[in-house]
Amino acid sequence: MKKLIAGIFLVIIFCANVKAQTYYEFTSNDLDGNEVSLSKLLEKGPVLIGFWATWCSPCKEEMKEMQKIFDKYKAKGFTYLALNQDSQKSLSKVKPYIESHGYTFPVAFDTDKKIYEGYSGRDDIPYSILINTDKKVVAVHKGYLSGDEKKIDEEIQALVK
Amino acid sequence: MKKIFLLFFILCCGISYSQIEIPKLTVDASLNNLLRYGNGYEYTGLNKNSKEYFENLTDGRININNIILGFRYEISDPIEYGRNFKGFRKRFAEYNHDIGISIRAGDYWDIVSRGMTMNIFEDRTLGYDTGIDGIRASFKHNFGKFKLKTQFLGGDMEYSDYLNPTRIETYKVRDANIEVSPWKNVTIGTNYVFAKGRIPGALDTTNIKAELPEVYLGFSFKDFNFYSSYAHKNVMSEPNNSPNYRGFSSQGDGLYSSLSYSKSGLGITLDYKNYRFDLTGPDNRGTDRPTKLLPFQNPPTAQKEHTSTLISRNPHVTNFNDEVGGQLDIIYVGSEKFFMNVNLGVASEHYKYADVDTTAVINYQRVARDNNFIPNITDDAFNPFWEYFVEAEYYATEKLYTKLAFSRQSNVVYNQINPNSSEKILTSTIPLEVRYELNDNYALKFNFEQQWEYNSIRTGEKNFMNEYVSVNLTKSPFLGITVSGEFTNDKEEPTGKSSWFLGEVIYKLNQKNQITFSYGSERGGLKCTNGICRYVNPFEGFRFALQTSF
Repeated sequence: MKKLIAGIFLVIIFCANVKAQTYYEFTSNDLDGNEVSLSKLLEKGPVLIGFWATWCSPCKEEMKEMQKIFDKYKAKGFTYLALNQDSQKSLSKVKPYIESHGYTFPVAFDTDKKIYEGYSGRDDIPYSILINTDKKVVAVHKGYLSGDEKKIDEEIQALVK
Repeated sequence: MKKIFLLFFILCCGISYSQIEIPKLTVDASLNNLLRYGNGYEYTGLNKNSKEYFENLTDGRININNIILGFRYEISDPIEYGRNFKGFRKRFAEYNHDIGISIRAGDYWDIVSRGMTMNIFEDRTLGYDTGIDGIRASFKHNFGKFKLKTQFLGGDMEYSDYLNPTRIETYKVRDANIEVSPWKNVTIGTNYVFAKGRIPGALDTTNIKAELPEVYLGFSFKDFNFYSSYAHKNVMSEPNNSPNYRGFSSQGDGLYSSLSYSKSGLGITLDYKNYRFDLTGPDNRGTDRPTKLLPFQNPPTAQKEHTSTLISRNPHVTNFNDEVGGQLDIIYVGSEKFFMNVNLGVASEHYKYADVDTTAVINYQRVARDNNFIPNITDDAFNPFWEYFVEAEYYATEKLYTKLAFSRQSNVVYNQINPNSSEKILTSTIPLEVRYELNDNYALKFNFEQQWEYNSIRTGEKNFMNEYVSVNLTKSPFLGITVSGEFTNDKEEPTGKSSWFLGEVIYKLNQKNQITFSYGSERGGLKCTNGICRYVNPFEGFRFALQTSF
């Protein structure tokens, strides 16, 4: 049985278009209970999905910078979608955190980590995926180092031109 | 399960073939690989043993229109912690339809509401995996403003006790969940879990049947958000040779609520927990007790989740079987440059127990008390825990960031037989972080943590100190170098050491490959996730990790 499954997987992988990351459609609820659909956001322009949690310090650093980038490009259709990865332990702190900091980009929940898994997330955040309007993943960022926002800015600029 | 998986795969291929014209069939695949290697020494108490591990995990996903096939091929030989394994550890087939149907056969993890009755997840550093191998089907649809979400799942769980990996509990789990939103700001849900389990103990394996119904409610009104969940637990165990667990049933329950208020500049969250999933005297508690909180349950801990190295060394391990308490968390944003966080947390057991037998035999009896829905933090017999934490962040300039915090924690492990031998730990910790951006790409970060600790059961000096220092240089977007040192004057440190030094380099070769090297000694200690804590042995040596996205 194991060999059969392995064989099926291998045949498909060799026939398939193998990429580091593939598009995964999802609909999730935002902080106010409204539905956020990735394909609808992409109708307006490129989307950067940022996986984050309230206990993750580099995530918070990245979000602070992403608010500036969101303000800069939102008029051109760009969306920064912050997908929350808080577990059941800290979920109730998400809305107070976002609203107290005055962030205006959309924030949605991925409590069961299905979207994170859909984008091959593995134990480490921040993790961000930049998707163009053709639903192609054009960049993947793991972790956040001070200065990374400049590279992200360049990538978004190239897409909104 | 194998037959179901194969049938599901063939069915999915059939659906795909019948609904979509062959030329429009799009097949994409993604592959990720994680290779971990470590070589050195591990300390078990004062014993220093050589330690080597090699782990390679390949995760693959194949998307064929609406069908996703996934697998994890794993070589853990030897594994860092847990049981060695070689082969396909996980595999699944998933079908998603635009109308809101999703079906998955194979391995999965999930959480229902806040996890009071169903929260299954994996954490490799703890050696913890409560994933189910079975089927999960869900339907999510909006009928105008009325939202409906239903989910059914069932399958087998093989739970390896994370404190003793060779002790395996097995469960057959069935779960049904319905959630409705009749109005935009209101969510009402119910969940029901039925499980049959086999729980190995010291003398025999106990077969159990468990039923866990749960109801929950969430609503928001203006700047307020409220959530509450109540779960009941009924466990019936079959007679066997375990003297303590010979065919009895046990009832338990749990309540979790949160209330939050938020507006620009201020966020307040109040969490309350009242977990009584298995109230029993001190002599009947144990990880193999069949009526304990079951491994597919994992409610909120309702306490602060710390990121400081030294504060996390002394976590309060939530006792989901018997704990009442909560936390108040306040975020204040004074300006664009100044943030503040204040957190207060308290918890205790519901009751204290007294030995009522006048002979040498110990016979604990619960001491009744009023107001058992609030914690008692003044009487050590309740195993009280409290903490307060204050943190301030300040951007002195665009390039200079500082963060200063203060934490004070108290934790008691009460000894009913000899109260004077009760362990009382008091810690005060000051973590400091300073970050300076040297230019557009380079940043320097300095961390310093000072901790004062008092431990009442030490035979010698009861007061001692711990210190942690780290310097981190990063060059965006590819390089991070960290050097850290930890120091203690604790004369009863199990390894007999007083200092540990570690160097780590993270290098991103490109977007697809990231390597991490570390060399030196690590102090070890408790590692916690979701209220589950495992002691990690001190390690000395070399570690290497390569993360690749093909």
